[in-house]
Amino acid sequence: MKDFPKYLLNRVGLPQSHTLATYRAEGGYRAIEDVLKKPWTPEQVIGVMKDSGLRGRGGAGFPTGMKWSFMPDITKDPRPRYLAVNADESEPGTCKDRVLMEKDPHGLIEGCLIACFAMRAKAAYIYVRGEYRLSYNRLQAAIDEARAAGLVGKNILGTDFSCDIWMHKGAGAYICGEETGLMESLEGKRGHPRPKPPFPAGSGLWKSPTTVNNVESIFNAPFIVRNGAEWFKSMGVPKSTGNFLLGISGHVNKPGVYELPFGLTARQIIDEVAGGVWKGRKLKAFFPGGSSTGLLPASMVDVVMDHDSVKAAGSMFGTAAMIILDETASIPQVMDVTARFYDHESCGQCSQCREGTQWLHQIFRRIAHGKGQMSDLDLLVSLSNGMAPAKTICALADAAAIPTLAAVKHFRHEFEECIRLGRDPLRNESQHAPELHEAHA
Amino acid sequence: MTKIQINGREVEADPKQPLIRACHDQGVDVPMYCYHPGLAPVGSCRICQVEVAAAPGQPSRVVAACRTPVSEGMVVSTDTPKAHDTRRECLEFLLKNHPLDCPICDKAGECDLQDYSFNEGQGKGRSSEPRRKLEKRKSLGDVIVLDEERCILCSRCVRFFTDVTKKAQLTVEGLGSRSVINTYMDKPLEGNYQGNLADICPVGALTSKKFRFQARVWNLSKTLSTCGECSRGCSISVEALRAKEVKRLRPRYNAAVNQWWMCDTGRHALAPLTRPLAPEGAVLGGRLRGAAVRGYNGLELADDVAALDLAADMLAAHPGAAVIVSPFATQEEAKAALALAQALKATPQFVSPAPNGLKDDLLHTGDPCPNRRGLVEQGFTALEPAAALAALAAAPAAVLAGERVLEFLGHEGLAKLPTKLRLVAFDVETSDIPALDVVFPVPTHVEKSGHWVNVDGHVGVLNVAVPPPSGVRRLDAQLAALAAKLAATPARS
Repeated sequence: MKDFPKYLLNRVGLPQSHTLATYRAEGGYRAIEDVLKKPWTPEQVIGVMKDSGLRGRGGAGFPTGMKWSFMPDITKDPRPRYLAVNADESEPGTCKDRVLMEKDPHGLIEGCLIACFAMRAKAAYIYVRGEYRLSYNRLQAAIDEARAAGLVGKNILGTDFSCDIWMHKGAGAYICGEETGLMESLEGKRGHPRPKPPFPAGSGLWKSPTTVNNVESIFNAPFIVRNGAEWFKSMGVPKSTGNFLLGISGHVNKPGVYELPFGLTARQIIDEVAGGVWKGRKLKAFFPGGSSTGLLPASMVDVVMDHDSVKAAGSMFGTAAMIILDETASIPQVMDVTARFYDHESCGQCSQCREGTQWLHQIFRRIAHGKGQMSDLDLLVSLSNGMAPAKTICALADAAAIPTLAAVKHFRHEFEECIRLGRDPLRNESQHAPELHEAHA
Repeated sequence: MTKIQINGREVEADPKQPLIRACHDQGVDVPMYCYHPGLAPVGSCRICQVEVAAAPGQPSRVVAACRTPVSEGMVVSTDTPKAHDTRRECLEFLLKNHPLDCPICDKAGECDLQDYSFNEGQGKGRSSEPRRKLEKRKSLGDVIVLDEERCILCSRCVRFFTDVTKKAQLTVEGLGSRSVINTYMDKPLEGNYQGNLADICPVGALTSKKFRFQARVWNLSKTLSTCGECSRGCSISVEALRAKEVKRLRPRYNAAVNQWWMCDTGRHALAPLTRPLAPEGAVLGGRLRGAAVRGYNGLELADDVAALDLAADMLAAHPGAAVIVSPFATQEEAKAALALAQALKATPQFVSPAPNGLKDDLLHTGDPCPNRRGLVEQGFTALEPAAALAALAAAPAAVLAGERVLEFLGHEGLAKLPTKLRLVAFDVETSDIPALDVVFPVPTHVEKSGHWVNVDGHVGVLNVAVPPPSGVRRLDAQLAALAAKLAATPARS
């Protein structure tokens, strides 16, 4: 693999990388200084973000600059506006934002300031996953430090730009990472996603215009502002620009978080970045972007890892959280575990999702325990088609249905064998295997 | 108004209302569970999905009609295979854990889930998984009992308290398929509007403790009527088992008065409507079976015509009679009483009991006189029970007329009236009042037709929901007969 420029994780390895001193020494807060003192107009900031082609890193891959430009015109709509930063990283397999928040919190803070300036937001709310204690503490300490240095709060850097940053801890619900569920939770309510329309830019937090961005998307903003859109576009592929953080886990030799440009194949990533499949085994399948994206078989390992290519292969780039499964992995068991997650995390509002996620889990569980029937496979497909696409308020039902469809499509033979034999030939009895009728708490 | 197309028909739709309202306004049936016109839409049950295209020829997609605003030129189809399939899928999920205990469910017969399953659902379930086992009879206070297994989590009940009474009492507890409805901190529900939950629950999850197991709803006849518990006069439906025994009072939509709601005081006011008759041959101990006159052995049943003659004679012999009607008197009865009062040269008056302290911000006015405004407009004077008793004590004779007039005056006070008073009464039931000379039976307000005028001037209609006991005639006819008889009786004294 040839060398490529890096920027996202450059500060992460430095000693005391989470402190203001280190951040400043590395040129931190220059972007916001530049924006405030030159001064830029908010429209210019949105312009450069749009030109950079940055696509949101939270899973959907929506252009970030475009999202910012959806905020209503301040002259016509005087309501206060907010930025909400989605740091509720809970997708199984995803672990990239955590690195940024723990090791480089000031980068996120500077990104928030630029985003708030561009959207004329009066405050940013960072919604951190409850289990991320260190992220929360580091970020809070960094905000306090920045506030003391006049970088957060009133009249930042002596200009008339004021912006506050507040933290909010989640309480362990995956659904609060859905943007409208996150807003409900921030408002102190149950994290039940809201129907759209209205979209957050029209009516979000406290019925005011709000933009919800992923941590990594916001983290990119200071780099784009300082180095320009052309620099950013010089990395990656034409429709997925810049670098991204890859979180790779599962059966590889070197799991972890890596900064990579778009355009590498999955094979390159597994073999050259993550040190290949462990124990000298062969690859069976991989989730390209977290457990909500469709499982791809080993035969598709040459797919190029960017938003559009993965989509063309029938899956999603998601949060670039690859989960690698070697030849000893049992797909029925993988799906049992995945389906259990969505059954547990469905908020329960929409009928299809509440009942469907449970039903899928029950079926996968029976198959994985050797109690399946051949008709179950068509039922799984039919139920998944009843749940997705876009038949519910949010995309959680899709997230449960899409991997189901992919698993049955690519690994039907494995399910059939389980059903025929009345047991899972790949089951490792020493692994924890919950009882079939064990009630989940 | 916005022009849209529903099932090929050009119609006008209110742009402020969701698409589902436009469909319903046009008589197009779109099923709904979580949507209720009186509550904020949440779009969670997904049963109201219809096919929508932005304009003719544009690509269509399936959307939830309750959360879709109408837009100019929109093309809506509710009847396409795609729309039906989507709804059928949704229904299958809703039925996955539903206990299907319709044979023992109070809601059966008026259950939305049952109805739409019949219309759209498939005959055979595909689930072989065990159904959820939850609490079958969880008391939520004095009025409502919850069956968690039947609940489809539409959250109408939760929103009833947040949107209508403005005091949240219920919530969804738990996550996903473990969700259940519960009160906060397991406290029992409170307030005077709990009964509405049983009405708005689209399935048999929330049922009324009072109505539970009382009747199968397909045996109930439903008659449009008006509630008499306060001067709001909520529009109601009087539901009687086989058109004989009133079993349930339910609110009926009336945009100007009560919308979809009614209070529990009114809903549970069944006792005055289901009073048993007095024993055969007796006057006391139940509803009057016929006219009664005072004889040597107290009040005795008598022939109607003879009793009327006697009443007319007494009133003719003792000029200066007072005329006091019940606050339940209908406009028609009041008109007849007015004519009688003119014939007797009396001031028309009605008993006006004191406010009962049930007044709230929603519906209840606290004034127990359902036709106060109508009576006042016809020229009747309101009289507190104590003042009325004092006036009666001083009068030579009196006519008391209308449903529950004796009850509102107070049986204790009436019993103390001097026996020289010549007292003629028309009521559903009487006690042994020494001063009472002649008494005639009258129908209750669910046994007659008529009108009441509510506190804001809206006219409420009364209809015959159950027949009055045999031989009980309308009060207005009886008062007119008495006035006619009086005119034919020469004045004595």
